[in-house]
Amino acid sequence: MLRGDHGVAVKESIEFQIEVGNFFEAKEFVPITNAHVMGDIEVMGDGGLGLLETMASSGAKCKVPTSSNARCMHFGDFDNLRADEAEVKKERKLIGYLKDMNIAPTDTCINYQTVYQPKLGEHVAWGDTGTVIYANSVLGARTNYEGGKASFAAALTGRTPAYGFHLDDCRKGTFLVNVDTDLDDFADWGALGKIVGHPHQDYFAVPVFNGIKEVPFSDSLKHLGASLASYGSLAMFHMVGITPEARTLAEAFKGDEPQETMTVKKADIDAIYSAYKYKDGASNIVVFSGPQLSLFEIQTLANLFKGRKVHKGMAAVITTNHAVYSDALRLGYVAELESAGVQILQGVCFYILQRLSEIRKENDWTNLISNSGKIVNTITAHRFNTILRRTADCVDIACTGVLK
Amino acid sequence: MSRLISVKRAHGPSIEGEVLVMREGFSPRYDLDRISGVISRIGHSVEGESIFNKILVIPTVKGGVAGGWAFFDLLYKKISPKALIFGKLNPVMVQGAVLAGLTVTEGWSEDLLSILKNGDHLRVDSEKKKLFIF
Repeated sequence: MLRGDHGVAVKESIEFQIEVGNFFEAKEFVPITNAHVMGDIEVMGDGGLGLLETMASSGAKCKVPTSSNARCMHFGDFDNLRADEAEVKKERKLIGYLKDMNIAPTDTCINYQTVYQPKLGEHVAWGDTGTVIYANSVLGARTNYEGGKASFAAALTGRTPAYGFHLDDCRKGTFLVNVDTDLDDFADWGALGKIVGHPHQDYFAVPVFNGIKEVPFSDSLKHLGASLASYGSLAMFHMVGITPEARTLAEAFKGDEPQETMTVKKADIDAIYSAYKYKDGASNIVVFSGPQLSLFEIQTLANLFKGRKVHKGMAAVITTNHAVYSDALRLGYVAELESAGVQILQGVCFYILQRLSEIRKENDWTNLISNSGKIVNTITAHRFNTILRRTADCVDIACTGVLK
Repeated sequence: MSRLISVKRAHGPSIEGEVLVMREGFSPRYDLDRISGVISRIGHSVEGESIFNKILVIPTVKGGVAGGWAFFDLLYKKISPKALIFGKLNPVMVQGAVLAGLTVTEGWSEDLLSILKNGDHLRVDSEKKKLFIF
């Protein structure tokens, strides 16, 4: 590869991987079975697009099955969420380059629920934080955050430097979280992620959750992981008796003592909600996104919105991937939601929408209410006033306009 | 009088410049207006400050894979910082810095937040893994 026998794109990819691997003192590469690339025009810009064009035009092809992350625009006709025409053309071009390299443009940040589920111990290279923490924690697969060129490089070389969460030593629990409360809503799981992640902004910290009373849904763990990754940049957690590398507390810590122990009670979760304060504003938006919604989350919302209408001065938006949307359409959930006035965006995540700051201003949105612990954190560069609320409360707020 | 600080890991060219000191974690997606290069998150410790041509001193990271492309994009738009001096980092910051040819370091022998203030002058010697504060 270094000699250029596999083409210039592979040569540049392996050189790039060696530089990154050297920083982390990786001793070798590990072969991967799957890659998940993150690249959209909003984040990569014209420079990144040019780089991708060069890769694709050199004839480079992925060595392993590869999917793409959520993108920054919905190719539909929602005037209040429109992207710049010039950027739409670039995004379409970008998707063409992905296809040229044999990447499946799944446009999803829930690939682990809808596209590919790596097995215990399987090495992959995934380029979205929520996907990484789910893979490491819930599936027991092994990946680091592979951002930007890193995920493309791994897809083209079929390997990745062996450091971080590819190694046993990194996967030990480092601190203990006793959970002494029920977690009844996805927003509660996101709140737990904030409580634990925010004071532990350390990629190599691994919380071990103990005391979870019921087996959580995949969507609950999705919201917890996305929140931990967002607030703390964490890439792995254990949950005793639930996740595969933590059948017992001792196994989660692999013989080490916790560096710290914290306890989360109901009052801590309640305090998270009460800390969010509304600002005065005539127009506000309720968002269900970050990560994209599963079919069951959409089914729940279809039931909650049934027979109701989004209130004047409010907007309600859901984002999901193409696969879930197709099934939700077939099952009547899309019709139910659309008749209530909910907008459903496909293949995107809300907080990465192209020209989102302008969209906020054009719609005069002040408060953004969500049941996603992640999105109330990630969207703040666009100067929304964000509010975390439980799912049914979000629906009530959307349909009554009462900011409770 | 100059002061010498060691870093744990370093990559990129040795450079010199003015620092912008963040008092909290950083993500180019959560905190930065990537059109203007100005920190736009409400309440961020350097809200309203430009990162252009600055050596960013950052204690920790938040999120996020956006940095993998974002620094290259900032370079293309000519609003890139000069270097990233992290207390703790994640791989994305390294991947993004390598792609953009930016200097990046991790780990401080002393707490830079209690030593540096915005506008101070710093030299980064990546090969020797040293920071010289003027």
